[in-house]
Amino acid sequence: MDLKDKLLDSYIAFEEELGPKDSIQQLRTAALKTFEQKGFPSKKEEAWKYTSLNSLILNDYTLFPSSEKAVDLNEIKHVFLYEVDTYKIVFVDGVHSPFLSDTTHDGLDVCLLSAALTKPKYSDLINRYFGAIATKEESMTALNTSYAREGAYIYIPPSIVAEKPIEIIHLATGDQGPVWLQPRNLIVVDTNAQVQIIERHQSLVEHQAVTNSVTEIFAHREALVDYYKIQNDLDTASLIDNTYISQDTNSHVSVHTFSFGGKITRNNLNYFQNGERINSTLKGITLLQEKQHVDHYTLVHHAQPNCESHQDYKGIFSDRSQGVFNGKILVDKIAQKTNAFQQNNNIILDDKAKVNTKPQLEIFADDVRCSHGCTIGQLDEEALFYLRTRGIPKKEAKALMTYAFANNVLESVQISALKKRINKLIAQKLGVNMGFEL
Amino acid sequence: MAYTEEELKKELESKEYEYGFYTDIDSETFPVGLNEDIVRKISEKKKEPQWMTDWRLEAFQAWKEMEEPDWPNVEYEKPDYQAISYYSAPKKKDQYESLDEVDPELLETFNKLGISIEEQKKLAGVAVDIVMDSVSVATTFKDTLAEKGIIFCSISEAIQEYPELVRRYIGSVVPPKDNFFAALNSAVFSDGSFCYIPKGVHCPMELSTYFRINQAGTGQFERTLVVADESSYVSYLEGCTAPSRDENQLHAAVVELIAMDDAEIKYSTVQNWYPGDKEGRGGVFNFVTKRGLCHNRSKISWTQVETGSAVTWKYPSCVLKGDHSIGEFYSIAVTNNFQQADTGTKMIHLGRNTRSTIISKGISAGKSQNSYRGLVQVGPRAQHARNFSQCDSLLMGNDCGAHTFPYIETQNNSAQVEHEATTSKIGEDQIFYCNQRGIDTEKAIALIVNGFSKEVLNKLPMEFAVEAQKLLEISLEGSVG
Amino acid sequence: MLTIENLHAEVDDKGILNGIDLDVKAGEVHAIMGPNGSGKSTLSSVIAGNEDYEVTGGNMLFGGEDISEMSPEERAHKGIFLSFQYPVEIPGVSVTNFIKTAINAKRKAAGQDDMPAGEMLKKIREKSSLLGIDSKFLSRSLNQGFSGGEKKRNEIFQMAMMEPKLAILDETDSGLDIDALKIVADGVNALRSKDNATIVITHYQRLLDYIVPDFVHVLYQGKIVKSGTKELAQELEAKGYDWIKQEVAG
Repeated sequence: MDLKDKLLDSYIAFEEELGPKDSIQQLRTAALKTFEQKGFPSKKEEAWKYTSLNSLILNDYTLFPSSEKAVDLNEIKHVFLYEVDTYKIVFVDGVHSPFLSDTTHDGLDVCLLSAALTKPKYSDLINRYFGAIATKEESMTALNTSYAREGAYIYIPPSIVAEKPIEIIHLATGDQGPVWLQPRNLIVVDTNAQVQIIERHQSLVEHQAVTNSVTEIFAHREALVDYYKIQNDLDTASLIDNTYISQDTNSHVSVHTFSFGGKITRNNLNYFQNGERINSTLKGITLLQEKQHVDHYTLVHHAQPNCESHQDYKGIFSDRSQGVFNGKILVDKIAQKTNAFQQNNNIILDDKAKVNTKPQLEIFADDVRCSHGCTIGQLDEEALFYLRTRGIPKKEAKALMTYAFANNVLESVQISALKKRINKLIAQKLGVNMGFEL
Repeated sequence: MAYTEEELKKELESKEYEYGFYTDIDSETFPVGLNEDIVRKISEKKKEPQWMTDWRLEAFQAWKEMEEPDWPNVEYEKPDYQAISYYSAPKKKDQYESLDEVDPELLETFNKLGISIEEQKKLAGVAVDIVMDSVSVATTFKDTLAEKGIIFCSISEAIQEYPELVRRYIGSVVPPKDNFFAALNSAVFSDGSFCYIPKGVHCPMELSTYFRINQAGTGQFERTLVVADESSYVSYLEGCTAPSRDENQLHAAVVELIAMDDAEIKYSTVQNWYPGDKEGRGGVFNFVTKRGLCHNRSKISWTQVETGSAVTWKYPSCVLKGDHSIGEFYSIAVTNNFQQADTGTKMIHLGRNTRSTIISKGISAGKSQNSYRGLVQVGPRAQHARNFSQCDSLLMGNDCGAHTFPYIETQNNSAQVEHEATTSKIGEDQIFYCNQRGIDTEKAIALIVNGFSKEVLNKLPMEFAVEAQKLLEISLEGSVG
Repeated sequence: MLTIENLHAEVDDKGILNGIDLDVKAGEVHAIMGPNGSGKSTLSSVIAGNEDYEVTGGNMLFGGEDISEMSPEERAHKGIFLSFQYPVEIPGVSVTNFIKTAINAKRKAAGQDDMPAGEMLKKIREKSSLLGIDSKFLSRSLNQGFSGGEKKRNEIFQMAMMEPKLAILDETDSGLDIDALKIVADGVNALRSKDNATIVITHYQRLLDYIVPDFVHVLYQGKIVKSGTKELAQELEAKGYDWIKQEVAG
């Protein structure tokens, strides 16, 4: 059966399973209708011009993997940021794993969306936030909304600083054949509260896994959110990540996306600025090999005066890999004194690698400072030669220069253990053992 | 001997000239609507050979299947293509007896632009009735060009006189099915120009001098074909700084340039069609397909100053097919009141060591919307391709919009592509600084806008640059309160 | 030439000038000194007619004419020149083009025709050599990418070209090394005559070693609290501004 039909047909059974307690039933049916009308996005759509989902949607998938396979902690230790103490919300094939998780309700909520969706004490919060900023028109988001059941629920009350980072980890075991996962995260950071979050999706063995994830983040006044996405999956796994962020006055939200693997990765990252003096930061390093494909699609909507946004995406592409960057800055008429900056720099290392980039500015206010720049080029041969005359082997010299190229993004990582980890990952990808840190 | 615009002006003051450019066609107008018969009739009227008729018909068949594009960032009511008459002889405009009868506002603009009285008459449609000399300027030009073997004539004439050349090149750069408007143009093009520069010939004059006078009578489906043979050079200037109060709502022109090995074509445009009134009523829809094909070591350079039209949809492009070929695009687009412009370029790098440069300056005022849309594509064979793009926008007032949509597609690891864009406004501190030096605010804005546009203005032929500069000032008049 | 009486001005409802009296006659050089935030730059902006500042009281007469309602360009046409503390960048407009436009705007206001190109060129050469300005410099975009010294020198060059009746030099010495300072001061001195006047606004006494003032005024909290001759500047240099502050408080 056609995957779209399967997804539509499975809904009745899904609804029955949820039962009458479901608090977002109306949202689901409306979303399903959107998906029915729009279907999977195709390359004909401007937003999907450079990324085709055809290779994914022609397959058949298990939509509701059920059993939880026992996972050996030692085997998956590397997926966690074990060097530091963290809260953990872990899912195995879409199902919560209490054994691997470390959740809390002590002063802050780090728990399961399934609980929040069903328990009455959360109903006010759910009514207020769930689906409030996730675009209703976008079909992949709509698809997720109609099946949203499980994921992370994080609530940081006013003036609380989460004292340890929170890890949201999704593991796919391959135990049930090809899987189609649709996690949903809801994160509310109240006035003057602070949190650091790391999100990761990881297949444990090579098997077809597609994750269509939606995350909504609400940053209230003076809130500080520091979010990291680590995308280093196997070449059989694909990810469609839809993240929506709403910011109030004086808040600061930063998202770093490290895309090092996977078959097809699409990151839809949307910021809506709903107050003044907001700071939004979007950074990313994309380091691809083989036939990997990563598409960053960002939107920063400046809707109020005196706000800032900073975007800096670096891409390094080898073999037959493909990178896409589509960044849009939208400045409303009332958003005077906006400072918006966007940088996208790419290095192509092999002649079969491809880069498509489309940085866009749409500006309706006149007193603004907006700029974007993008470059596509190679490692500087002369610098490479210089390093080699100093005795550094070619591979290491290349790696060194790649580090230097990506360093702007790396240095703003606030969790030092994570920074080390990413350094290591980059070294691994480049096939070097670097005795230095940048 | 190069013939300068100055000399032309002098000559015009003492001599009468005649068009002599368009082939003579009678003033019959076809019924409105478009079907195969109309296409046949257009071709028949122009006494075209069978291949040309077939070519038009094929384009028409394709057009019927196509849809009008809606991806540009412009909004307008789509024309009813069955309510247009596709063939009429050059409109006999109402002739005035003297300049006193002409709209004074129009005359004032002419004066600001420094256009001579004789030219003003011609442009405003005043009958010029004294024939001083039987030798027309046009003929003088034609003789000079003919000596060099340069062919420069209307496309209708070329189809008759040089069918082999036309047949070889027409549609070779912009195929009839390229897009909705190109297909329409291919089916019904009324006239246009053809230019061929033989091998090794450096065209001794700007091909504008001649054209400028003629421009006022150009039809709405214009077709231009310029072929520069090996090692030749031509600078072609299209358009007119004078405002054209054209009645035609829709303009769908096609321009094809072919630069053979080692040839160079410089194509400059000043577009100042009627932009509509201050409330956004009326105005020309300018939907143009312009593209050039570069062979080995050749160069095509597009320069445009776009100040007119209600809606503009235009992307002069270069297909850099030959190794070491060069494409350039320099653009100033000004929008005021309710104008909308979606313009930019495509640089398609196919050959090795190809280079392209894009400099785009957008100025938006009033309630207008100004978009840059560009594509830089580097193909897998295009080793060591280089591109540099810079897109700057200047916003004046808070009711307008500036948009930048650069597409960059690279499939080659030796490519170097750089894109930069900025958006800014005219600073109050800049205005005060000028004021303090005794320069009033209006003049200060003109100065700042000219500075902003300088890199592009510099690319225009000198005498034209001065007029274009004045045109910018006029276009933005009253835009800052 | 310039008579200011009881001048009050404010920005964003905050009083910056609180009753200034100043009388500058032809042929004189006045120095206005004062600590940071005392209102020195505000005074120069208000004389030049910057609309960011609202004049809330007092009179400003230039050549016997009330200028307080005049636009900045009218004041410039009358002969007031302000050398900016922070000269503004105008990309794409060359120094030459800018100064031509300015001179011709002034001539037009006086009912004169544009200055003939030859005369303009001669004047540009003469004034630029006076200030040791390279001809390459003249074709660069106005103030864009200029060093601090180049910007200030460019201001004085414009002053030389425009031949104002009253020149106000706002912190012209800031950002200049000693050699550049000398060149600028020599330029200013060469342009002094019995018909024009100069107001030098500065924080330090250093510049006054080269441009010797006839009068020195100390501005503090938006008022001139002390006036004297050049010796006052030296006294200030020796004792610092605290001395004035104490005197005012006491």
